[in-house]
Amino acid sequence: MTGGLRLDGLTKRYGRFELGPMDLAVDDEVVTVLGPSGCGKTTLLSLIAGTVPADAGSLTLDGRSLDGRPPEDRGVGLVFQDGALFPHLTARENVAYAATAAARVEDLAATLEIRDLLDRRPAALSGGEAQRVALARTLAANPDALLLDEPLSSLDTPIRRRLRDELHDLFGALDVPVLYVTHDQRSATVLGDRIAVLRDGAVEQVGTPDAVLGRPESEFVARFTGCENVFEGTVVEDGVRVGGVTLPAVTDRAVGTAVTACLRPSRVRLDPADGDDGLVGPVRRRLNEGDGWRVVVHLEGVDLVATVPPAVGRSLDPGDPVRVSVDHVHLL
Amino acid sequence: MTATRSIRRRLPRSDWLTVALALGGLLLLYYLAPLVSLFLSAPPGAVAASLTEATVVNAATTSVVAATCSTLLGTAFGLPLAYWLARADTRWTDAVLAAVVLPLVLPPTVGGVVLLTVVGPNTLLGDVAAAAGLPLTRSLAGVVLAQTFVASPFVVVTAKAAFESVDRALEHASRSLGKGRLTTVRRITLPLAAPGVLAGVTLAFARAMGEFGATMMLAYYPRTMPVQIWVSFVSLGLDAAYPVAIVLVVVSALALLVLDTVASNPWR
Repeated sequence: MTGGLRLDGLTKRYGRFELGPMDLAVDDEVVTVLGPSGCGKTTLLSLIAGTVPADAGSLTLDGRSLDGRPPEDRGVGLVFQDGALFPHLTARENVAYAATAAARVEDLAATLEIRDLLDRRPAALSGGEAQRVALARTLAANPDALLLDEPLSSLDTPIRRRLRDELHDLFGALDVPVLYVTHDQRSATVLGDRIAVLRDGAVEQVGTPDAVLGRPESEFVARFTGCENVFEGTVVEDGVRVGGVTLPAVTDRAVGTAVTACLRPSRVRLDPADGDDGLVGPVRRRLNEGDGWRVVVHLEGVDLVATVPPAVGRSLDPGDPVRVSVDHVHLL
Repeated sequence: MTATRSIRRRLPRSDWLTVALALGGLLLLYYLAPLVSLFLSAPPGAVAASLTEATVVNAATTSVVAATCSTLLGTAFGLPLAYWLARADTRWTDAVLAAVVLPLVLPPTVGGVVLLTVVGPNTLLGDVAAAAGLPLTRSLAGVVLAQTFVASPFVVVTAKAAFESVDRALEHASRSLGKGRLTTVRRITLPLAAPGVLAGVTLAFARAMGEFGATMMLAYYPRTMPVQIWVSFVSLGLDAAYPVAIVLVVVSALALLVLDTVASNPWR
């Protein structure tokens, strides 16, 4: 019997929605479950935490079966989207609720930087503070596995980013399986040792962030992980023919095969065009996204999205011809 | 449509409020005038003197003791039922709730008749209890049974709503922190639902104190305050009914005070 968290054929039906049958193994690592609203992320966590009974399948944690066990007997900690702090208890009492020793409360308060908040009621905490307390409370119970249900989704961007980075460090120090549910690709990438992309109750792809983002196995995974350029094309000698242009591709598929190609906007390079050689087309639209610019370039029959540094973005005007450089497109 | 528009033009919004208040005010007057009249009709001295009369003291004692017992019974059995109704995911909850509400909509005298078919003389339960020295009619136990029947639904219905208002995620959080269902209810659900639960308990107590119809059927003796009011009225006239009526009004006002106090939920 192997350790970690093991899901074998876990299934749950709600009317016409079905989650699973799901197989997933989480060792002492962080697996982020990435998917859109309604894909079954929260249901998955509820099944593992035991707050919702599974219809079929089995669950083991460190070799012991969790099937049929009540939530309190599973050793599975769950951090809720809004913290779910007990409103009638102070932050200290919330953390102490699950702690076996008072010293544990102080330790966690120091780790999560909530010492100054301990005497406050949840209503007097900000969203980020409440999530820190919620995390401390869950860790106080010394769970054998940690589940987090979009804990950052209701926070403002700067706080979300800071807490996300801190979670990254915290998870690194934990030696239990962590399952982190999110719809945010960036959180999934930053926090996950592996990403499991969930769609309509089924795992679409599991892999390291680099594998999932760089080599998506389906159009859904490609689009959901930020690959905006997805084209139907045909394999030709030197790449993939899309519209009236040929994009470079590495493939052993036969010439003439119909394929779906995808290309992340960050992998597209734009330079001022000084002639008509190569992939050249006019800028159709450019949008300042702060950290960079999103530029849409019109090639023959294809609109290609690129994200470029601010200096490049600022220098381009709609209608300007640009040269597009692409290392190679990924074929699904 | 046109008529409505022209009325709207003629009457600003605040005028409608005035009309509403005038109409409602009449009803309010209808509530309060008899109460004021009752207090004016009974000189304080006479009320104070009659309060020490044995019949009044006995009736008040019976009412308070029985209402306390029936409220405790209703709470002890009603809270678990209320919790089940609030949390069970089954289609049976509607039917169970209907059964709970039935005593509320049933005329109290009919409630008394129904109870007599189960605990009255010449019934199995009634005979067994009487043989064991605990007669279920014409006894304090009878009063408690009648009061529990009509008053306990207030606990169930109000506490159910209070339990439902507690986010299930809090219970899930508690249980995932290693606490069992009972500990979770005791430390999380009940404290959070407390204002609503207390409101239900208070309503049940007030209803039990005022119970007349079913009590008359089950236990004319020992007399509760409502029964004593009736007896005093039919045997001695309205004046004799005043003192106990005033005591009941005061008890009701106190219940209202408790309700207002416990209804202020600091976490809302």
